[in-house]
Amino acid sequence: MNFDFVLYLVINTLVVIAISPLFVSLIKKVKAGTQGRQGPSVFQTYFTLIKLLKKEVIYSPNSSRIMRVTPLVTMAAILVAALFVPLVFVPEPIGGIGNIILFLYLLALARFFMALAGLDAGSSFGGMGSSREMSISAIIEPTTIIVFAALAFVFKTLNIFDMFALTAATGSPATPTLILIGISLFIILIVETSRIPVDNPETHLELTMIHEGMILEQSGRNFALMELSAAVKMTVLMALLINLIVPLGLTTSLTFAGILIAVIVFMVKGSILAGIIGLFESSMAKKRFFQLPSLFAMAFFFSTLVIIIEVFS
Amino acid sequence: MIVELFVLAIIILFAGTIFPLIAASLDRRSVRTISLSCTIVASILLGSLSLMVLLSGESVFFSLYQSLPAFSLSFVIDRLASFFLLIIAVVSACVALYFTEYIEHIDGQSRRNLLCSCTSLFILAMVLVVASANTLSFFLFWELMAASSFFLVMYEYSQYDTRKAGIFYFIMTQLSSLFVLLGIIVLYVMTGSFSFLPLTTASAPLVTVAFLALFVGFSIKAGIIPFHKWLPYAHPASPSPISALMSGVMLKIAVYGLVRFLLDVFTPDLWWGVLILAAGTASAVLGIIYALKEHDVKGMLAYSSIENIGIIFTGIGLSVIFTASNLPLLATLSLLGALFHSLNHAMFKSLLFLTAGSVVSATHTRNIEYMGGLAPRMPVTSALFFVGAVSIAALPPLNGFASEFLIFISFFSSVSVVDPLFKVLLFFCLALFALTSALSAACFVKAFGSIFLALPRSPESAAAHEVPRAMLIGPGILAATCILLGVCALQIFAIVGLTVPLPDMLLVSLLLLGMAVLTYAMLYFIASREVRVSETWGCGTFSQQASAEYSGHGFSEPLDIIFSAIYRTRTINERTFFDQKNCIFKGGTGEIRLLKVFEEYLYRPIAQQSLSVAKVVSRFQNGCLDTYLLYVFVTVIALIIFLGWFA
Repeated sequence: MNFDFVLYLVINTLVVIAISPLFVSLIKKVKAGTQGRQGPSVFQTYFTLIKLLKKEVIYSPNSSRIMRVTPLVTMAAILVAALFVPLVFVPEPIGGIGNIILFLYLLALARFFMALAGLDAGSSFGGMGSSREMSISAIIEPTTIIVFAALAFVFKTLNIFDMFALTAATGSPATPTLILIGISLFIILIVETSRIPVDNPETHLELTMIHEGMILEQSGRNFALMELSAAVKMTVLMALLINLIVPLGLTTSLTFAGILIAVIVFMVKGSILAGIIGLFESSMAKKRFFQLPSLFAMAFFFSTLVIIIEVFS
Repeated sequence: MIVELFVLAIIILFAGTIFPLIAASLDRRSVRTISLSCTIVASILLGSLSLMVLLSGESVFFSLYQSLPAFSLSFVIDRLASFFLLIIAVVSACVALYFTEYIEHIDGQSRRNLLCSCTSLFILAMVLVVASANTLSFFLFWELMAASSFFLVMYEYSQYDTRKAGIFYFIMTQLSSLFVLLGIIVLYVMTGSFSFLPLTTASAPLVTVAFLALFVGFSIKAGIIPFHKWLPYAHPASPSPISALMSGVMLKIAVYGLVRFLLDVFTPDLWWGVLILAAGTASAVLGIIYALKEHDVKGMLAYSSIENIGIIFTGIGLSVIFTASNLPLLATLSLLGALFHSLNHAMFKSLLFLTAGSVVSATHTRNIEYMGGLAPRMPVTSALFFVGAVSIAALPPLNGFASEFLIFISFFSSVSVVDPLFKVLLFFCLALFALTSALSAACFVKAFGSIFLALPRSPESAAAHEVPRAMLIGPGILAATCILLGVCALQIFAIVGLTVPLPDMLLVSLLLLGMAVLTYAMLYFIASREVRVSETWGCGTFSQQASAEYSGHGFSEPLDIIFSAIYRTRTINERTFFDQKNCIFKGGTGEIRLLKVFEEYLYRPIAQQSLSVAKVVSRFQNGCLDTYLLYVFVTVIALIIFLGWFA
């Protein structure tokens, strides 16, 4: 492992942790705007996290060790997954870091623990959230893998680093195929980060929530970790989309100025995408749970279409 | 050296079989312990010899007994055989270790000696199948394996369910043997020898017949859908360590058979690969979908075995497709994926069956709805089961992920297959494959959650306590192997001298560990350290009750509804009312019936046809001595005439 790569690990982790709460707040701000409210400050998520860190943790007497390790494992898995998607600086990949399948399964590892923690306290809400989350994640999986296969097909590599290096080298706006893949990636982003129309991140009404239900029993610093890891996951998936479609600003050389510019450009691009997500969420209502499979089927056919176009062209 | 070790192991296993038979009437723990110790010692010998062969890469051939010119009892241990010997050895050793304690907790007094004896015989038969150097001895030991496993399934014969399962298993396994025998005979007719030699005639119709017969035979034994029905019957019926052996090892022997014949005998056609791939994908998806619905913990594991065998067949199918498309590198990669998954499945499935056995013996029920809350009561068992669950859900950094990753890579590389239509087919199978692994994560969240987490849902579960140490060490070794095979997958492949495009899981694990430690340290310094254990929000009730919990059934309900077309559940609602406008409810019944598609539409018609044929045939056998004498007389006359004409 060379010096560049170690530096990359540090930079990427710091940037993703620092930026991700901002994007969460931005989406909320945009949504509040569309509803004619002023909304909380864009730094509200940071304040909430700090407040949560200061609070005590309460464990249910029924809960086991799963409840205690889940926040740590989730955070670690998401942070390692975040290393697979360079936000600002693309180094040479080492030892399979950046592999797109491993990336997907690291997210699955976090979800596995979260779902178990949801069941752990024995409350019916937690179980409901876990059950729905695992069901949704299972039926979106074929779409996700086909989109990733299409990416691998287009770029002739399985490594996200290599894909980004390619897009960064051309620097041009995306090809039509990539835009098609981008739409599928956007649907995956919406599903994976539990947003409308799949899930509603705002509500705490037990019957409608999925992700929030699963982490209902978390409190204090553990809850802060869960919130932060969800934010990081969203940022990473956003970065995957952004850096593939609009690679502008992504740097492959390690210079201070280059990184600084890249960070600023990434924040701008990310803010725009956050705005789009906010508008997208505001423009539709949450779908009924059992209507979701048809939505996913649509996304599936869409991404299969891309592959078929690619294969036969 | 290797020959001596092998013969020694065989002798020890044979001693383990004979000894409890001699002392059959002695209901002593020592008798069973000695027999099982023989198994452990023999397994260690087998394991070390197979490691030697695997590392050196030299194959050993030796002949023990020559009975006929065409047939000798000879063995060959090459890399493929030694790989499967290793699987047998590791699982048998751990299962036998577990069994030493488990067997003392089951009923049957001195009958338990026979159980030990049969277990040794079963393992012996599997070892000999794998080591067989010709098809005839392969078949003979295959039959021995089938027979001994039948006795193992029938152990609790006094129960109706077990008898039914046993008969079902017996018929399926004999069907399997029949097809394998047919394949072997067709091959003998073509080549005139029983050896595993490549066929010279490339694609005669007879070759196809031989392949199809062998494929069906091995599929029945491996539990490929639609021949899978015996698994969910036989596994819950037999004692847990036996299920672990059958699921962990015996299914792999069928995989071994298929791979052996495909590699050594046949030059496969493209459509064979498509057939194997289709069968594998269908088994994988349907297996896990049925597993989700199952609430019998061992039945669930049995269905999950069907899924995993499906994954292995998917890898083999891909390998055949790539071979036929002249892509040897990719073919090797997907075959490695399939074989590695065989090893991994053997490890985590036997781990899961053993720990499930501990749970069942602690709670006295197999229904996961009556478990719950076992994590604090059985801390080590729950941790071991957890390792198995993470492995089988194919989550990094454990071993299930490593092998599924290889198959994923093969799929992703299928771009290089020439025919575009094949590419689309492969991408479709890839999507189903991804669905499979995501559903298995859901299935094992449900399993672990319902068995170990939350509040106990029955008094037995509340009173459960940890099992004795021997029942922890066996699964413990398996769990350690699961972790080792996952984390060091790349390094292990390097030691064996293979380069595979696996990510460095050791690095990823270190990163995971590093991130967790960093997060913990950060929290330790900046966050509040206060922790309180107190009742959390329970929907306004005073204290939480197990009845309000999300049950296993509830957990899989969304997926039940989404896949209702596959489950073919029928909801029957009958209501009666007092008035004519159906307003005032009088009474009614509701029923949700799970249609057993394969049994209703495939097994039953075949069984009924066979029965009606049997009825006709049975007329010849009227039990009267004169009639039989007449048959003999007619036969003799017919033979004489035949010989007179043709000789």
